[in-house]
Amino acid sequence: MSDDYNGYHISFFRPTTPRAKANRNIVIWLASIWAVSIFGFQILLLVLEKPTPEPAYLTFQSVWEDVEDNSADKVELQEFGKSALSVLGKIAISDKEKATLENALSWSIYQLTPDSLRSALIARVQGFEKIKAEIVNISNPDYVSARNALSKELSPVLVLVSNDVRRNILPLALRSSSMKVLTDDTKVSLPAIMEKYLIHNQSVLTDTRFLGFPFHYFYTAVFLLILFVGLCWVYCVLVDRLDERLKTVE
Amino acid sequence: MKKILFPILLVVLPMLSQAATAATQLDTGFKIGPAIILISMLVLFVLVGFLFRARDTADFYVAGNGISRVGSGMAIASNWMSAASFLGMAALMYGTGYHGLAYVVGWTGGYVLLLILMAGQIRKYGKYTAADFIGDRYYSQALRTVGAIIAILISISYCVGQFGGIGLMFSWILGVEYNVAVLIGGSVVLAYTLISGMLGVTKNMQIQYVIIIVSFLIPLFILTYKFDYFWMLPQIGYGSLVSDIVAGIPLNETHQLVNSLGQDFAVVPSPEYAMPWDSASGQTFFQWIAIAFSLMIGTAGLPHVIQRFYVVPKSHDARWSVVWGLFFICILYWSAPAYAAFGKILSASPEVGKLAKDAIVVYTAQLGNLNPLIVGLLAAGGVSAAFSTVSGLLVAGASAFSHDIYVKVINPQASPSRQLLFARLATILMSIIVGVIALLKLALIGQLVAVAFSLAGCTIFPLFLLGIWWSGSNKQGAIAGLIAGGLVSVIALTYFIAEKYGIALPAHDFISYWLGAWYFAWLGAPLALVVNIVVSNMTPATPIEIRKFLIERVHT
Repeated sequence: MSDDYNGYHISFFRPTTPRAKANRNIVIWLASIWAVSIFGFQILLLVLEKPTPEPAYLTFQSVWEDVEDNSADKVELQEFGKSALSVLGKIAISDKEKATLENALSWSIYQLTPDSLRSALIARVQGFEKIKAEIVNISNPDYVSARNALSKELSPVLVLVSNDVRRNILPLALRSSSMKVLTDDTKVSLPAIMEKYLIHNQSVLTDTRFLGFPFHYFYTAVFLLILFVGLCWVYCVLVDRLDERLKTVE
Repeated sequence: MKKILFPILLVVLPMLSQAATAATQLDTGFKIGPAIILISMLVLFVLVGFLFRARDTADFYVAGNGISRVGSGMAIASNWMSAASFLGMAALMYGTGYHGLAYVVGWTGGYVLLLILMAGQIRKYGKYTAADFIGDRYYSQALRTVGAIIAILISISYCVGQFGGIGLMFSWILGVEYNVAVLIGGSVVLAYTLISGMLGVTKNMQIQYVIIIVSFLIPLFILTYKFDYFWMLPQIGYGSLVSDIVAGIPLNETHQLVNSLGQDFAVVPSPEYAMPWDSASGQTFFQWIAIAFSLMIGTAGLPHVIQRFYVVPKSHDARWSVVWGLFFICILYWSAPAYAAFGKILSASPEVGKLAKDAIVVYTAQLGNLNPLIVGLLAAGGVSAAFSTVSGLLVAGASAFSHDIYVKVINPQASPSRQLLFARLATILMSIIVGVIALLKLALIGQLVAVAFSLAGCTIFPLFLLGIWWSGSNKQGAIAGLIAGGLVSVIALTYFIAEKYGIALPAHDFISYWLGAWYFAWLGAPLALVVNIVVSNMTPATPIEIRKFLIERVHT
């Protein structure tokens, strides 16, 4: 580089004026706090996390082998049906996964029903499906009454207690067409679906509560934003003081 | 005046309420109450735009440098709080839980970078547009033109998401098809921008900010109160709601808390909503980091954001306007996750069916059984958010065309009236292009907007960062860096579009994952910076007059 240019060179890392030096130091400090606060915390989350199963997954694991072999007893079938319902209550599942879970649930209910009542069960579910297909509004009294009746009738089959939210999902997830057989497709794909929805990355940072929030959620959704405003405010105050000290006039 | 207004309000409000009650449902019927609120709001914007309309090109571009820093902060916030913030952010959290917070962090954290690295210096540099800066700093008409074209592309990409949001809300309020709603909404926002220009826009933005934030917060206070959370500060109160989603909410045997469809306020344990990079969300740690990083550097490279710093008198004001702007923005960003959380529970029953994620804010208010007028206000606020941003974007795009391409390159002798004419023609053309792309419904609003951020992060951000902070960065380095960043952008967008049309390109999964359309700047921006530095060091130094200018004007 020509000597003529030496006096006119700007570089963030090699400032040539007192103001530029002071500004560089402020920027480096604030940028470091900014970066560590955002990315450092997420890395910490990653380091500390452990795959943690929901109780429904542990239940599923304990009964799946027998269900797959068709040797599950009554209690195991009940637990199996309940674990499928636990995932069906989640919103984000795809249509294909939903169909698999509905097959698992419907089959378990069918298996838990005495042989003599199975045809009646299918007829009941078909009747409800017909009403459901015909209505235009879910507050239709006939529909509501049929749904509540089916829930009331079948919840004891899975031993769902009175405040269990799965009671509400049960009648909506039954499919008369997939009650008789636990399909090969379900047998293949169900374990992966259960693992996907029932195992979560948890750690002390996610399990600790702060102001009602899971701590990590509070940190990211609330605290980081406060920090950003704070960093901006600090920067402006420091630069204003710097300009005042150096008598900078714009 | 008050004596007249009060009786009118006494008569009109109950009528509105009754009409709205009759019409507002989750379905797509025409909703008269929300429609009246929306129309009133638009008339107000046009009137304000007309009163403060642009009288010459300086007014049209930058509002004559006459806006205070708090006012400018409000305008920054309003300009920023688009359909992506108002509607899209809650949609992303509703769909992917903790992953959606990457957007919250990305869209706010970038302001710290913008402030400490650029805001004051950009104001001191004293150029009207991003392309003006690029052309001047890198002493190249070709780069000025390329910069203008990139600014236009970014504005178009950003506007597509906004038109999508406008279409959704117009569709919900007017009960018309999405495509028709996009056409109606697009025409209205175009008319408004053409009438007002930047000065009207800036004044309007301050009014729009107030409307946006009030319409967003009121339903939230009511929801938290109604469902028995800490309503006095819903931004904190919803914390218990998040924990409740994780642990599950059992049925209340008295069925006291129900949604508007009569379903219980209950949900199965759903830790996937709050746990980081949960497999149920289909998103990974890398994607979280890449999105946050790309959005942050994209923030510091968006032409319409950078351009806001020219409307304050001094660099000191530019800096403080960022603080105010970010604070105003954060009020909405602290609140948006609460809508997603309420939406999660209120739509938990399979009976609700699949809701359009981008409208989840409005659906949440509806399912929460809020007064239809309040829901209508919320929807109108969403439209207002999209309007405020689209106006700024169209002006930035039109400025790039008229000022940077037409005047600086094609016809330097153009009269001010001719410049204004070309600015307006460019606005119309951009609106048509944006409207057509919006009809394709390529992705969620938030994701479409994130594309614009990555594009800005790969192209404009490196040019500004090095242009301000390193006088060694020269024309050749800038061109090489731009090519590198542009190449990454082209690859990422090609794979994205190919996927949308079912075309399988080589290494599809690999490229789509590592260079996702919403976050390709994580690679493109650093690459552009490195290439710029290397090539600049290998080629002739920056001219002395540019170096002098940087020292004497920008860094003194």
